[in-house]
Amino acid sequence: MIFAAIQFIQPGRNKSEQVLPVNISKLYAMPQNVETIFQKACNDCHSNNTNYPWYVTIQPMGWLMAKHIKDGKAVINFSEFGYYSKRRQISKLQDIANTIKDGKMPLPFYTWMHADARLTANEKALITSWLIKTKDSLDNKN
Amino acid sequence: MVVTAILFAACTNGGNTTENKIAASASDSAISQTQITAPQPLKAASVNDIVSAYLNLKNALAADNANDAAAGGNAIVSAVSGIDTTSFTATQSRIYNDAIDDIKEHGEHIGANAKDIAHQREHFDMLSKDMYDLAKGFTGSQTLYKDYCPMYNDGKGAIWLSETKEIKNPYLGKKMPTCGSMKEEIK
Repeated sequence: MIFAAIQFIQPGRNKSEQVLPVNISKLYAMPQNVETIFQKACNDCHSNNTNYPWYVTIQPMGWLMAKHIKDGKAVINFSEFGYYSKRRQISKLQDIANTIKDGKMPLPFYTWMHADARLTANEKALITSWLIKTKDSLDNKN
Repeated sequence: MVVTAILFAACTNGGNTTENKIAASASDSAISQTQITAPQPLKAASVNDIVSAYLNLKNALAADNANDAAAGGNAIVSAVSGIDTTSFTATQSRIYNDAIDDIKEHGEHIGANAKDIAHQREHFDMLSKDMYDLAKGFTGSQTLYKDYCPMYNDGKGAIWLSETKEIKNPYLGKKMPTCGSMKEEIK
């Protein structure tokens, strides 16, 4: 009965097709293969545009997702990366590279349901080297 | 009755997002107001307190003590929250404002990772660059040394600040305590 009732409470969606100039892919030259990794493994929780799975309509899955997206965007939002100061961009690029290298991101909870977000060693190397290269180029502009 | 209420909430949910947002931001500002009026320490914190907390953190990492390092990270966050910026010069304000959000965020991460010293050190690396910039802008009260570890970061190297001339490497800890060299004296 409660399960049936909670199905009516659908959280708002994190969906915006508009790609702003402050989007990380617009700010820094990003090869297609790196962008693909961002899209499949990062952007669901760290951008303004989530690619929702079918079970978002089942509660409490949808609520859980809304919470993860809210928390994820609070830490880093790739759609609005340009709003961070240069110093914080440098820090965040390094931190993201570290967490991917250490296997902390994407979260196991997420990859459990999203098989394509499990990064291969190759994909990890690809995205971390792009992150560090971009970070170094910002560092050198000092 | 409850079901009716839920149904009503569900039906109105779609059109109400703006109002929800306004309500949410109103409660956000309520929270920040409570923080402002929360009891302050008797003496406002200064940049020296941030530096002291950083040095404690540095010494904890050099001793491979992740718990003390976490306490140092948290001490940085509370020093930042209680800081009195009124006596800053314009240049100091610019340096401070540029670095402080980053410093606080690294402090939070280090404080939250008492079980992961490797991750604490990753943040300490980035934090040390911010602290160096900050120290350069607020000289005078304490001589600091900028030290350099050539091995950290897969050989890319990393800096840290120390209150002593003696090298105690916070990146490699007890494994290689004296690895590194002093690069600059900040007075």
